[in-house]
Amino acid sequence: MKVVTGVVGNDIHVVANRLIDLSLQARGFEVFNLGVNTYLEEFFDAVIETGAEVLLISSLNGEAEGWGREVQLLKAKYKKLDDVIMMIGGNLVVGTGNADDIIPRYKGYGFDIVCHQVDLNTGLDSLEVMIKERQLAVGKN
Amino acid sequence: MSQIKNAENGQEKLLIDVGSTYFKLSTNNSIEQHFRDFNKSIIDDLTHKCGQSIERFDKKDIHICSSANGGLSTLIIGVTHSFSLKYATNIAFNSGINIIDTVLFQNIETYSVPSDLIDVVIITGGINSNADNFSDDLFRYLEKLNYSNIVYVGSESDAPIIKDNINDVVVLPNIIDDRLHIVEDDLKEYLTNLYQQDIEGKEDIKDLYDITDNQIFSTPYVVNKALPFIGSKYSVVNPFVLLDIGGATTDIHYSKDLVDENIVTENEYDRLVFKKLGVYKSKQSLIFVAKNNEFVYELLMHLKVTENIFEEQSEKATKILMQLAIFLVLCKISHYKKAYVNLKLLSVNSFVLTGGITKVLTVEEIEDIISFFYKKIMNSDHNPATVLDSNYDIWTLGAKGKAACQ
Ligand code: B12
Repeated sequence: MKVVTGVVGNDIHVVANRLIDLSLQARGFEVFNLGVNTYLEEFFDAVIETGAEVLLISSLNGEAEGWGREVQLLKAKYKKLDDVIMMIGGNLVVGTGNADDIIPRYKGYGFDIVCHQVDLNTGLDSLEVMIKERQLAVGKN
Repeated sequence: MSQIKNAENGQEKLLIDVGSTYFKLSTNNSIEQHFRDFNKSIIDDLTHKCGQSIERFDKKDIHICSSANGGLSTLIIGVTHSFSLKYATNIAFNSGINIIDTVLFQNIETYSVPSDLIDVVIITGGINSNADNFSDDLFRYLEKLNYSNIVYVGSESDAPIIKDNINDVVVLPNIIDDRLHIVEDDLKEYLTNLYQQDIEGKEDIKDLYDITDNQIFSTPYVVNKALPFIGSKYSVVNPFVLLDIGGATTDIHYSKDLVDENIVTENEYDRLVFKKLGVYKSKQSLIFVAKNNEFVYELLMHLKVTENIFEEQSEKATKILMQLAIFLVLCKISHYKKAYVNLKLLSVNSFVLTGGITKVLTVEEIEDIISFFYKKIMNSDHNPATVLDSNYDIWTLGAKGKAACQ
């Protein structure tokens, strides 16, 4: 399964990005890593060019909120993104924040899985759960 | 830089530029310019006016570039702006293609079909493992399109369906690799060859191979290659925009810093061509564009003339047309009229002007227009420096560099 990943906006924190790349590969995903400093349009465009089923965005420096608000608007311009699993994680607000507020807000922005300050493996486990659920739902298995 | 130095130290070269309106000839220590005589073929006209200079040189030491053949036009159909369209556009630019239009495939039914004949259609999209990037909408669009060549450089998985549905399509390796990086070579070679065939197909230009053993390049391509070395001739502060306003077309070259793009290629400077925007051959279409620009009357007033000037044939009228051309080009690259690019014009530090315009306008007359543009369109007092390349140093630099490479 193909996953597009990268760090959104002007964010240059690269360590998590490398770990995500390796962890996804270790779990058998085919990874398209756009690296740090990636704009939303590039993420969506990379999904179109690769035919990826999952888009996994990281944000560490506190920019996530601004980009989150752009997601629906931009996504509406694309015709082939409806079935893509959209996931975001890292530091999703400035400071610590409360996951009970943050998660519903980001779901409202259009993300299916939201991992604010969640350990990577826990986050990737929930991704795999969602993939299984979707496969069952369409009867693929 | 070292390439250019080598050329200077080595055998003397004769550099010739054939434009739609003028010829230029440059040797180590002289530059001459002649108006073209349209009753003669290019080669006759050239040998008549400059026969002596040409005879002094061996065929291998004569290097010619031309913008007289108009160049090639391409329409690129791709699936995203950030990858397929961007990569193909970049390769086309770097292969000397002049006029580039793009279509985003998912919205193909909303694009009007260009009526002009397109020299080459480029179709691209998807990495090799991604299939079904296109649908019948593509084939329906192509049926309505008038083109001479068509090349597919997208996903391998879609190549069979493309071949089955498009007559005479040339299929080349994908320009996007499995890491989403650009692969330039095959498409570049194909387009460069087309360009060469185009030149050879134009009788007038083909004849020029009688006096040179070297490949004839497009002038904008040669100018673009000189830009990294511009500092050796002028004190130009980056980022800059270079305007080459000619008789038939206007070329602009600009530092990559002026656009929000982060594609990795060898070129530091991009270029853009506006066909039918020139002061001699394309005068009528220039006037047409001007009349449709809501600020032009104010500009004419500012220049203390009326629109009757468009009907006049005088030195004054040529000056005004050139000033208008500068204004219209700036409009086209600003947010005011979205063309292929919108440059960050408030970050520009220098405007460099080259071509016939430098023989007609003074620095003050150009600065006047630039500051009018910034005030009216950008609402700003920004005041970049203006540099006039009045002796064609930039072209000479590029032509010498190219000559040294051959
Ligand atoms: C190293 C570092 C830097 C380095 C980065 C070097 C580099 N190129 O990577 C430098 C010095 C350049 C830097 C700069 C800045 N930083 Co800094 N930086 C850090 C620091 C100390 C460590 C980051 C790190 O690499 N951690 C190790 C990795 C493995 O952990 P991680 O990034 O947290 O990622 C884990 C999880 O978050 C998770 N994860 C990440 N993404 C995703 C995605 C999904 C889907 C999932 C499930 C999980 C997941 O997985 C990873 C492994 O578990 C953190 C503080 C900290 N201790 O975390 C601050 C920190 C991230 N930086 C911060 C800030 C504010 C900045 C600056 C704005 C500072 C400034 N004022 O200039 C700049 C921003 C620069 C920019 N344009 O982005 C803040 C962010 C605050 C916020 N979001 O509210 C932090 C948290 C420090 C703080 N407490 O204030 N920084």
